[in-house]
Amino acid sequence: MNYTKQEMMAIATGREIGDGDLCIFGVGLSMLAGYFAIAHHAPNARALTEGGIYGSTPVGGLPWGIEDNRISANATCFTGAIDALGFLVASGRCDLGIIGAAQIDKFGNVNTTGFWDDQEQLRRGAPKVRLNGSGGANEIGGGCKRVVIMAAHEKKRFTEKVDYITTPGYLEGGNARERYQFVGGGPVAIITTLGILRPEPLTKEFLLDSYFPFSGIEEMKQQTGWNLKIFPGAKVVPEPSARELEILRAIDVTGMLRKK
Amino acid sequence: MVNKLISLHKAVEQYTHDGMIYASGAGLPVGSESVVFGREMVRQQRKHIHYLTHCCSQQVNLFCAAGICDKVEAAFSGLEVYGFANGVRRAVESGRVVWEDWSNLSMSLRFLGAALGWPFVPTTANIGSDIQSRSAFQPDVFPCKTKIPEITDPFTGKIYGALPVAKPELAAIHVTMSDVAGNALLLGTEWSRFELARAAQKVVLQADYIVDAACIRQYPNLVRIPEVIVDAVVPWQLGAWPQCSVGVYDSDEEHMNEMNRLLASDEGCAKYIEEYIHSWQTHDDFISLIGQAKTEGLLNNVTSHLLDPYRQWIKSDDEVAALMNESVFAKESVGR
Repeated sequence: MNYTKQEMMAIATGREIGDGDLCIFGVGLSMLAGYFAIAHHAPNARALTEGGIYGSTPVGGLPWGIEDNRISANATCFTGAIDALGFLVASGRCDLGIIGAAQIDKFGNVNTTGFWDDQEQLRRGAPKVRLNGSGGANEIGGGCKRVVIMAAHEKKRFTEKVDYITTPGYLEGGNARERYQFVGGGPVAIITTLGILRPEPLTKEFLLDSYFPFSGIEEMKQQTGWNLKIFPGAKVVPEPSARELEILRAIDVTGMLRKK
Repeated sequence: MVNKLISLHKAVEQYTHDGMIYASGAGLPVGSESVVFGREMVRQQRKHIHYLTHCCSQQVNLFCAAGICDKVEAAFSGLEVYGFANGVRRAVESGRVVWEDWSNLSMSLRFLGAALGWPFVPTTANIGSDIQSRSAFQPDVFPCKTKIPEITDPFTGKIYGALPVAKPELAAIHVTMSDVAGNALLLGTEWSRFELARAAQKVVLQADYIVDAACIRQYPNLVRIPEVIVDAVVPWQLGAWPQCSVGVYDSDEEHMNEMNRLLASDEGCAKYIEEYIHSWQTHDDFISLIGQAKTEGLLNNVTSHLLDPYRQWIKSDDEVAALMNESVFAKESVGR
């Protein structure tokens, strides 16, 4: 295998981006996936960060944040959080958002806030492990037409019920989102280190859609904390092409994704 | 126009107090942030701060580690690609700091609502999530109905959330440039500084550069924080260090990591305060502490061209020192 699991995950995420999409990326992995797509197959996709920095491509390496110098060197617009997350995301203008997840459930609800041992600890307040919180993920989950979630595929992270819903997916499933006035459609894919899960159209439960060449249905089921169902015709994801790898590595100049 | 230049020491002494509702701007983890103002608050041993911030920053990380704040309301508690904020994690997991979660849009809207004098802000952000139904201030109440109460749209009958407005007693805001009166120019994202500056009862700016008023009159469209809402201006180049200031300096990768490493323990935090707060008094000391070679490296970065249109109006250190003496605070000002 001449690529890493992380690179496969980034390329599979990038393939979700269509030419012309207005996209919002977070830091790290999702930004690499996004800029890879723009360089590879979506030259007319437009990138914004929730920091309110539009039209730029990173200079000098992976940006340290959604606001730092590396993402500010060649921008076409500097604005702010209300513009990016309010005027563009919460208004429903944004086609695609990419977010990460520390814990995720079968309806695509995401926890990035913290881990608690049990209800008792939740009632006391302080978490066992404090994570990063929402940032702008909550409104990206509510407002983007399509949301792609990236997560390391481990049983402890893929759980029947998340400790805390930081970003709503399909809540209790079915049409539960309709109780709220979200303008966005919800998550269309969970792209993991092993493969891709997509929602069943009616129940909105995430099912195994495809697996990476180095993975398989059994491994994905084993690493999922709920009884993972399989879409009929689940198939292998095409491995990265030479050109995809070349372009991704040109974006990932600091080699973040090549660390095993 | 009133000359509102003030020393760092005096600004913190005069505008901050124990137990206050304090906000920093931009409230970003890597970018513009009033870090040096926060260092001075640590030096002056402020306590029981109720901190409203958009995101975590090294200032928030330091305040949590050093026991300066008891409560934080924010959207994000990490340092982005620099990792989890160790001072925050330690304080929140131990229960020493109560951290109330919001999101980046809801924090902006809460500042905007306060700025406009609204009683609350109707929103689709946060509703249906545990940001709405769980409050760190009332952890035993679930679902919490008072953090973001449901409201009915009087026109359509649909259900939305009501965000409480966020009204700091003081906002200490980092800006790239300001004139002596407080007309400020921000390079890079303004994040929520526009609405934060208007939400706060008092505003103190921390400016990398003081520029001539002619610069402001050349680019009035770009003034997002006008002097009419600014109380005082602290001239302090590299004031966001180790974070970055777009157009001026990069984030200091080495110190971002070192600071976060030290804030992971009480001993490390004490060492950090000794070495990076009590060790300096003047701005010259501060630059020496960072190091001349390091400073030059940080100043030479991929965004330096963004400052070019403004350079002709930047006041030299000597000119700023002279202007400090003409400030309304001059008579009261002592030392640094």
